[in-house]
Amino acid sequence: MSSSLYRRKMRRKNALIILAALVLVAAAGFVCLLVGSSHMGWRQGLAALLGHGSDAEIRILRAIRVPRVLAALIAGAGLSVSGLIMQTTLNNAMAAPSTLGVSNAAVFGANLSIIAFSGGFLSTGHNLANFAFGANPYATGLMAFLFSALSVLIILALLSVRAFSPGVVVLSGIAMGSVWTAATTVLQFYATDVGLSAAVIWSFGDLGRATYRTDAIMLFVVAAGLVFFLLMAWRYNALLSGEATARSMGIRVDALRFASLLLSSMITAVCVSFLGIIGFVGIICPHVTKKLLGQDHRLSIPVSALCGSFLLLLADTLSRTLGGGAALPVGAITSLLGAPFFVAIILTKKEHS
Amino acid sequence: MLQVEQLTFRYGKHTPPVLRGVDLTLHDGEIGILLGRNGSGKTTLFKNILGIAAPDGGRMLFDGEDLTKMPRRRRARCIAYVPQHIHFGALSVFDSVLMGRVAYFGLRAGQEDYAVVERILDEMGLTTFAHRSAEDLSGGEKQKIAIARAMAQEPKMLVFDEPTGNLDIANEHLIIAEAKKLARQQHIGILSSLHDLNQAMAFGDKFFFMRDGVIRHAGGREVFTPDIIYDTFGIRVRMAEVDGQKVILGGTPYEN
Repeated sequence: MSSSLYRRKMRRKNALIILAALVLVAAAGFVCLLVGSSHMGWRQGLAALLGHGSDAEIRILRAIRVPRVLAALIAGAGLSVSGLIMQTTLNNAMAAPSTLGVSNAAVFGANLSIIAFSGGFLSTGHNLANFAFGANPYATGLMAFLFSALSVLIILALLSVRAFSPGVVVLSGIAMGSVWTAATTVLQFYATDVGLSAAVIWSFGDLGRATYRTDAIMLFVVAAGLVFFLLMAWRYNALLSGEATARSMGIRVDALRFASLLLSSMITAVCVSFLGIIGFVGIICPHVTKKLLGQDHRLSIPVSALCGSFLLLLADTLSRTLGGGAALPVGAITSLLGAPFFVAIILTKKEHS
Repeated sequence: MLQVEQLTFRYGKHTPPVLRGVDLTLHDGEIGILLGRNGSGKTTLFKNILGIAAPDGGRMLFDGEDLTKMPRRRRARCIAYVPQHIHFGALSVFDSVLMGRVAYFGLRAGQEDYAVVERILDEMGLTTFAHRSAEDLSGGEKQKIAIARAMAQEPKMLVFDEPTGNLDIANEHLIIAEAKKLARQQHIGILSSLHDLNQAMAFGDKFFFMRDGVIRHAGGREVFTPDIIYDTFGIRVRMAEVDGQKVILGGTPYEN
């Protein structure tokens, strides 16, 4: 086989894989759109999507389900790719938004906002309404974002003082994460019962919080990240041959690592601050993708992204059907759903070292 | 081609220097072999030459140009690296070699890059492997692919770190022959570390004996004397001649 034939074949194979994943995600998206607590049949659902049907049906679809499905698509892709990029740039299979302390910092920020500023000991209001509407609806998300960004910047700053060593990044991420968790515990200890429950409920990931505006903001950040990561695909591939070798090939490893970590952390921070904690997507999806398709980033970046969207759509559909009217926390479902599958893949599939 | 003058380097501010004023000159197409005990600074010297680490003092010139001031990607087109521990990250052999072109294409490979990879695979007899996963190959084959990857950088000089460290004797010969062919046919300079002194004599044109971060002896085959070997490695060896070729016979360690 001549190599140009081989290249064409590989390109076709990669395109087919991506196309198949796209079809799966699109199918999951439709299912997710048409399943819900209002007992709308799929015909009615489709009609409502196209603007036919009762006002209520159209409103349910357009105002509630569409932004929710979009959030699953965007955040799933974002969280999954963030995990993949962190794993590659830190050369550590356990690196992910949750293990680097980004999520923990977001939880602390949200708790601070909910418990300290939006009610609880700093205010007189003691009913749940205060927590939902008492403050700017973006305040909690903004605080969550600020703290996760702060956390990331502290880690990156610590590391620019001393030379960037991937192992150190992961360890300081874990240390940082435990500091935020401890601070959250202290905060929760002083919270009122109402404040505490509002804070805990916030930390359950919930796609129902998404609006078109939050979707647009997430889309902007995730799309920017994806474009950057895809452009850097060959550089990430080079990193797989080892840091020293990558440097000798002319790659500015420190700069690449800094930019990649910053972008992937920002993606996580934005998604988590709008939607709450959706754990494990950043570990499960990249690993499943790498196990099944290998580590070539030209393929693993888009497929991990689609895999993340798929997992989140599936988890959201399940969370809304299992809960019987009330949506179960989607973050719990992603782990419940993903972890067994994840373990099965690790145990059965041949190691692609 | 490569001129290193009084190069010094330390890993941390409070650690002792690993390179204490290294001088080394290598001309176009020459094969230079770096010899010394573990920890004498060979790998660190390579890291400095390759731009993996930045020196604290001294100069490194490549064709008269200061290496430390050369843009990274241009540097990668002058000097390429065949590391001791080789990983490819489960890419195909073709893509692994194409990786060496990153210094040229940056974001996306083009026709010219593909053509170079095809030519190199053909020249090195690797075409039949092209579509296999590089991680699944044997040690010797991996080493060859790492050389092909380095050659895809179209460098003027190759740096080998212990190229035969993990190979059996047949593969050892294969790799050395391959490297020597590149040097002789394509006039590519080679700087390599090697443990086996006899192999070094057969492979190299010029030899650098390194101890404690300095090169204490340099020159052609005539520098292989029992005294210099004792000075470098701390062992007494005997030398013999077989078919007109110098041979070093295993030594006995002496107290320093």
